[in-house]
Amino acid sequence: MPEIHFLHLFQGIATMVASDPLIAAARVLLIALGIAFVYLGAKGTLEPLIMIPMGIGMASVNAGVLYLSAKNMGTIFIDPIASGPDKLFDVLQINFLQPIYTFTFSNGLIACLVFMGIGAISDIGYMLIAPVRCMIIAITAELGTMLTFPIAVGLGLHYNEAAAIAVVGTADAPMVLYASLLLARDLFVPITIVAYLYLSLTYGGYPYLVRLLIPKELRGIKMDQKTIPNISAGEKITFSIITGTVLCLLFPVAAPLFMSFFVGVIVREAGVKQYVDFLGGTVLYGSTFFLGLLLGVLFEADTILNPKVILLLFLGMLALLLSGIGGIIGGYIVYWISGRTFNPVIGIAGVSCVPTTAKVAQKEAHAANKFAMILPWAMGACVSGVISSAIIVGIYVTLLQVPSP
Amino acid sequence: MESFWGAVKLMLFVYALAAAISLITAWMIKYIFVVIRMQKSHAEASKSAKAGTSPTQGGAAPKSTA
Repeated sequence: MPEIHFLHLFQGIATMVASDPLIAAARVLLIALGIAFVYLGAKGTLEPLIMIPMGIGMASVNAGVLYLSAKNMGTIFIDPIASGPDKLFDVLQINFLQPIYTFTFSNGLIACLVFMGIGAISDIGYMLIAPVRCMIIAITAELGTMLTFPIAVGLGLHYNEAAAIAVVGTADAPMVLYASLLLARDLFVPITIVAYLYLSLTYGGYPYLVRLLIPKELRGIKMDQKTIPNISAGEKITFSIITGTVLCLLFPVAAPLFMSFFVGVIVREAGVKQYVDFLGGTVLYGSTFFLGLLLGVLFEADTILNPKVILLLFLGMLALLLSGIGGIIGGYIVYWISGRTFNPVIGIAGVSCVPTTAKVAQKEAHAANKFAMILPWAMGACVSGVISSAIIVGIYVTLLQVPSP
Repeated sequence: MESFWGAVKLMLFVYALAAAISLITAWMIKYIFVVIRMQKSHAEASKSAKAGTSPTQGGAAPKSTA
């Protein structure tokens, strides 16, 4: 019988003991945080769809560190920095999540798949109720995306990194992932984690902002349901194909996102049930699951020890807070323009976390007046927010990343 | 500090451009919608004319109360 060493047998513990105390402490912290995410996700405090796979990924990857050679420690989950055909060929055979990471994550495909699913479950018709008003709200709800950019630069981030973290203010997680992959590849893991972490908190935090900034009598304004036009599927398809094509023409760098979103919308409106079920079910939830799992697995101790992470946590929170305030300002602007008939709570839905912020708006209006039904307008503002966010990402990426001719 | 003011200028440019494109998109949507509606009503009017009734008469036909 060979000689058995306890630490050789249990390598997760051995690597913890042998590593730098700071790394060991970070691993323990992340394991605890991962378990907390699973618990809070299962309880419904945080978004379960993303937090449960992310939490289990975080706990597992930080526990499962082993000796890859006599002196090298690592895991057999993912090697995010592997590049070059030879190295990639090796890691694809060793790391079990590497194929999903390499072929869907690092090229932004997973963000596009999520967008196809969102398109397939979104009714674009809500935007056609009052397109200009919804777009005014959506633009003001980008306040955080805008103001965070110079603040981040002032705090020492490069333009690309500052733009990537500022995009958290769009509250559109696939958009954040896509932008950070293109603008700040080194920081895309912490930025995307910050985005998903905060977005899952918007459902709990934004209602307080609404109550703080909008008095109860305005929150309870009833919207005239008779102004909602009956929009046919053909009209929605016409709108989608024209808008999608024009936006692709203007911003080719964001064309994959535009195409993915509008193909989902068109499939839905064309009534191709098999594709709607596929995109809105399997593709959307499958992508969200693997997105959560991969983000968790990428959250290793080294990530949290990056000094920029604290800064990113602050800037992400600031971006979302300012976007929420901006959205409410937009709600007030439209309230005044409309002769005080528009419920300003709809402004919060301009922050394009589909459909969470629209639900928040409806919930708050209903709490103030049980006859207030604002969801169609709130969904319109939300969908407009997706479009304005994609436009902003397109401009940032074109200016900061794409080489000039 | 110079890069901060550069970032402020860039932010203002990006915001203005995004706002302009977003609003143009919204107006475009609005007018596509108006045009489609007009075409629809024209089509209905010509259909009614071919049938020998005015569009108003056709649209206001009494519904069965049964």
